[in-house]
Amino acid sequence: MLEFVDAYASTITFMALTGVFAYSFYAVLVAGQLSLAQAGIASAAAFTSSLAVPAEPLFGVVPRLVVGIAVGMSVGAFLAFLLGLPVMRLRGVFLAIATLAFGEVVRILLINQSWTGGAQGLSFPKLVGIPQAWLALAAVAYWFWRLGGSRLGRAFAAIREDELAARAMGIDVSRHRMTAFVTSGAVAGLYGVMLAYFVRFAEPNAFGFSAAVDGLVTAVVGGTIFFIGPVLGSTFLTWLPELQRAIGVEAGWIRPFVSGLLLLLVILFLPGGLAALIPHRRRGIMTPPDAPLDLPALPAPGTPIASLRAIRKDYGGVHAVHEVDLDIAAGEIVGLIGPNGAGKTTLVNMLSGLVPPSGGEGTVVGIPLGSGVPAHRIALAGVSRTFQQIKLFNRLSALDNALVGAHRVSRPTMLRRLVLLPSARRDEKRALGQAFAQLTRVGLADRAHLPAGDLSYGDQRRLEIARALAAHPSLLILDEPAAGMNHVEAHLLSVLIRALAEDGVTVLLIEHNVRMVLETCTRVVVLDFGEVIAAGDPATIARDPRVVEAYLGAEDDQEEPA
Amino acid sequence: MQQLLNGIFLGSIYALFAIGFTLVFGVLDRLNLAHSAVFSTSAFVGIELVTRAGLSIWVTLPIIFVFGGVLGLVIERVAFRPLKDRHDAHFAGLISSIALGAMFLALLQAVFGPDTRRFPPDAFPRQRIEFAGSTVSVLQLVIVAVAFALMVGLTLMVSRSRLGRGMRAVAENPHAARVLGIDVDRITALTFALSTALGGVAGVLFALNVNSAQISMGTSIELKGLAVIIVGGLGSLPGAMLGGLIVGLAEVFAVAYVGSSWRDVIAFGLLFAILLLRPQGIFGARKVREI
Amino acid sequence: MSAPILVVENLVVAYGQVEAVRGVSFHAEAGALITLVGANGAGKTSILNAIAGLVRPRSGRVLYDGKDVTRRPAHRLVADGLVQVPEGRLILGTLTVEENLQLGGWQQRSTQAASIEEMYERFPLLAQRRALPAGALSGGEQQMLAIARALVARPTVLLMDEPSMGLAPKVVDEVFRVIAQIRSSGTTVVLVEQNARRALRAADYGYVLETGQVAHEGAASELLTDPRVVEAYLGLE
Repeated sequence: MLEFVDAYASTITFMALTGVFAYSFYAVLVAGQLSLAQAGIASAAAFTSSLAVPAEPLFGVVPRLVVGIAVGMSVGAFLAFLLGLPVMRLRGVFLAIATLAFGEVVRILLINQSWTGGAQGLSFPKLVGIPQAWLALAAVAYWFWRLGGSRLGRAFAAIREDELAARAMGIDVSRHRMTAFVTSGAVAGLYGVMLAYFVRFAEPNAFGFSAAVDGLVTAVVGGTIFFIGPVLGSTFLTWLPELQRAIGVEAGWIRPFVSGLLLLLVILFLPGGLAALIPHRRRGIMTPPDAPLDLPALPAPGTPIASLRAIRKDYGGVHAVHEVDLDIAAGEIVGLIGPNGAGKTTLVNMLSGLVPPSGGEGTVVGIPLGSGVPAHRIALAGVSRTFQQIKLFNRLSALDNALVGAHRVSRPTMLRRLVLLPSARRDEKRALGQAFAQLTRVGLADRAHLPAGDLSYGDQRRLEIARALAAHPSLLILDEPAAGMNHVEAHLLSVLIRALAEDGVTVLLIEHNVRMVLETCTRVVVLDFGEVIAAGDPATIARDPRVVEAYLGAEDDQEEPA
Repeated sequence: MQQLLNGIFLGSIYALFAIGFTLVFGVLDRLNLAHSAVFSTSAFVGIELVTRAGLSIWVTLPIIFVFGGVLGLVIERVAFRPLKDRHDAHFAGLISSIALGAMFLALLQAVFGPDTRRFPPDAFPRQRIEFAGSTVSVLQLVIVAVAFALMVGLTLMVSRSRLGRGMRAVAENPHAARVLGIDVDRITALTFALSTALGGVAGVLFALNVNSAQISMGTSIELKGLAVIIVGGLGSLPGAMLGGLIVGLAEVFAVAYVGSSWRDVIAFGLLFAILLLRPQGIFGARKVREI
Repeated sequence: MSAPILVVENLVVAYGQVEAVRGVSFHAEAGALITLVGANGAGKTSILNAIAGLVRPRSGRVLYDGKDVTRRPAHRLVADGLVQVPEGRLILGTLTVEENLQLGGWQQRSTQAASIEEMYERFPLLAQRRALPAGALSGGEQQMLAIARALVARPTVLLMDEPSMGLAPKVVDEVFRVIAQIRSSGTTVVLVEQNARRALRAADYGYVLETGQVAHEGAASELLTDPRVVEAYLGLE
């Protein structure tokens, strides 16, 4: 065994280091972003550390490598922060290209500095061997393992699955994306320093586009959903050439060909990467923990919840919503009806902060509406919603969906989880209790462990409601929750909504199922062509000829077709 | 003045490479990172045709056009079509095209070996002409002419022809195109083929310009190509042309006045600046996806 | 009495878990105008999309002119004369009015030019705006463009999905006048509408859909006065 280790010491070390590098990609991919700047950042970290690492242990005690790592990770985090600031608004391909460009600029800047040795590179003392590399990998893997069950990790996963829904649950997407970026930079810095002190050499050109692609490939092959992915990826890809050499494959082109082929096969047929092959221990039906959350009281009946005056939304020349006045008081169940295209969803998007009004004034749970007010702020103030097209976090379990919903009322636990503090466990349990309570309320407690995407349509609609309820909202907005339901299901939904109102939740309900609205709501507002055409109690509205006309067409028309 | 002309020559090749890139992005909303592999492969095959088969450059270029097109059909079918309905289609397409490109390059090395290839010395006319106090070679003029002819041809085709209308329809709204009876899969394949056909010709022209071809020639131009299409505006054909010239000129002037090792900073610096200040590029109309 | 030109049998359309259409059957005689009415979410658009080859039904059959076209893709159906005017019009705003019309004739290259000229005669408004980008047209004009675009393909059967949506009443009058003209020229029309009264007044025969199934059917004039139709919409006793 020992001979094996000796013979392959280099490979074993590389395996750990490429794993670390892959984690720097994983760090951003968990949050749904593709950043390719890690290679450039790694090289900057390596070279900067060469300036800072003393010839002797610091203060006679601190090992030189530790100093190097501290410097490297700080540089990496700082560069990532600098990069993150301007590119935060970009998504997808644009983000990838921008980060790639940044990485290249760093590389070129470094090549042209004399203190980096230019294209010749710098030599480094050998400070890294198998133990140091694996310790680093273990530390990084530990971090991401602890991230998995934390509120922060769930927020990342939510942003990855559906950014808009994450916003609506109170998650500050920009801040979270920046956190992911900075983490990625720090890990890339760690990699750069460790690599330099292992190979005893670094030159900027080794950290170019190809290196970035290699790191990305490792992360993707390993899998970007479970924390063990990068380790699997680096194991597989580091040993692959050794394997090929062992079975006699020497030719220079076969190895890159096989790597490319494998990557292609993985991305086409194994979207979750190698980690998806591991049988994930499916949690069966769970029992809820007995840990009540201390929740603030909901507003007393009659308290003003939302108030809109002459609110408007224009798209180009079209008045989607035109001079609407609306008041909602605590304890009400307000129904919003109207034909297709009447402006109901636009109105609700303004109330939940997803879209700023073009004119008029509005206040929701004490927050004035305007273009500077992000949706997550309104969500954090107590407004929760569901969406017309179901926007669940499909790959997360029903329970995890509800837990994301509880973001607002649960406390951050990541840092405490790292040191395994029991108070973190207690807070997690409380959040779990809240999530479970909501699932029970909508009748999904026995399906808590199932992935949201696998649930039946009716269950998905109810899960969206449970998720929204987990935030303990003052105002719950439901956008066509009964769509596609038959009479029985719609009736059960109506019963649930009325029960919620009795618990003190104010509800705003958009629905096409007029029968259900009349059965459920205390007050009905009718919208057509962006304007309120009628408002009042359900019975009056049902008899109002204007409402009938808006839906069915006019009783008699002037023009009769020939 | 000499630098200006050199910049135009280099820029027109960049533009030809980029215009295929931006075509696929504009119509299909996909970034094909195997485009550079087509570039390199076509250069080698072009050299082979001239050297081994003794064909003149005028016969080789159309053959490469077709060859590049065929590669594009393969790329579309293997790397992009199977991912069509996946919800991470953008990201997965990037990776699958990277993978396929790497495979192409590995095969290239298998067939041609790792060394640099060159055109035979008598492959093309070597006269030089005096122009406004600078020297240009006939070869360079030919390169610019071919590049521009192709790009103008493409632009005209897209704006005037039936196929171009179909491509623009798919670019704006693939579902609407389907409702109209357009075979979206076929248009997609044709768009890819057209894009890589141009990329292939760009490869041969580039190899002609520097009289060499290496396996790695694609990497650096791929990054320049990205810079060009971002600066010019993703999906904009005139943007790719103008962007190519800008990047080419900027690069040549940077080398002349600042130093060759700073060359690439220009392209990336421009890229970064544009992404921050005006993400849709000079001519771009597509809204940069913010949500 | 010839066989109906369009027959739909036990159509089931599902998107993942959701069954939008749960076994719908209906037919259209050649030259007739039949209408499918019902509330939102009743499955009407899914039915049209399945017929038009844009969505693959989970089960059931579509017969066009006697032939089973259930799995035929949209581009072949358009070539055979089965054309849809889609919900939301789906005008290509960055292309000109003329180019939109030309695209309507994508599958009918030989008759395209002549058809377009006919459209310009019939819709002088479009002729005036032929060089403008289609996105500059008003809602009503875009609806006319969408209809004209479909007519360029010389359809035998025209599927219309909510042509009155989002349009002012006077414009809706115009639209229904055009629909009547189309019908009288011999084209079979399958009209899907939320504006049930208008649709039933224009049609020969009607089907009322509720949560993916046919709840009532009958001659359009009878359905107009049938109180159950009103109930299907507003759920009133």
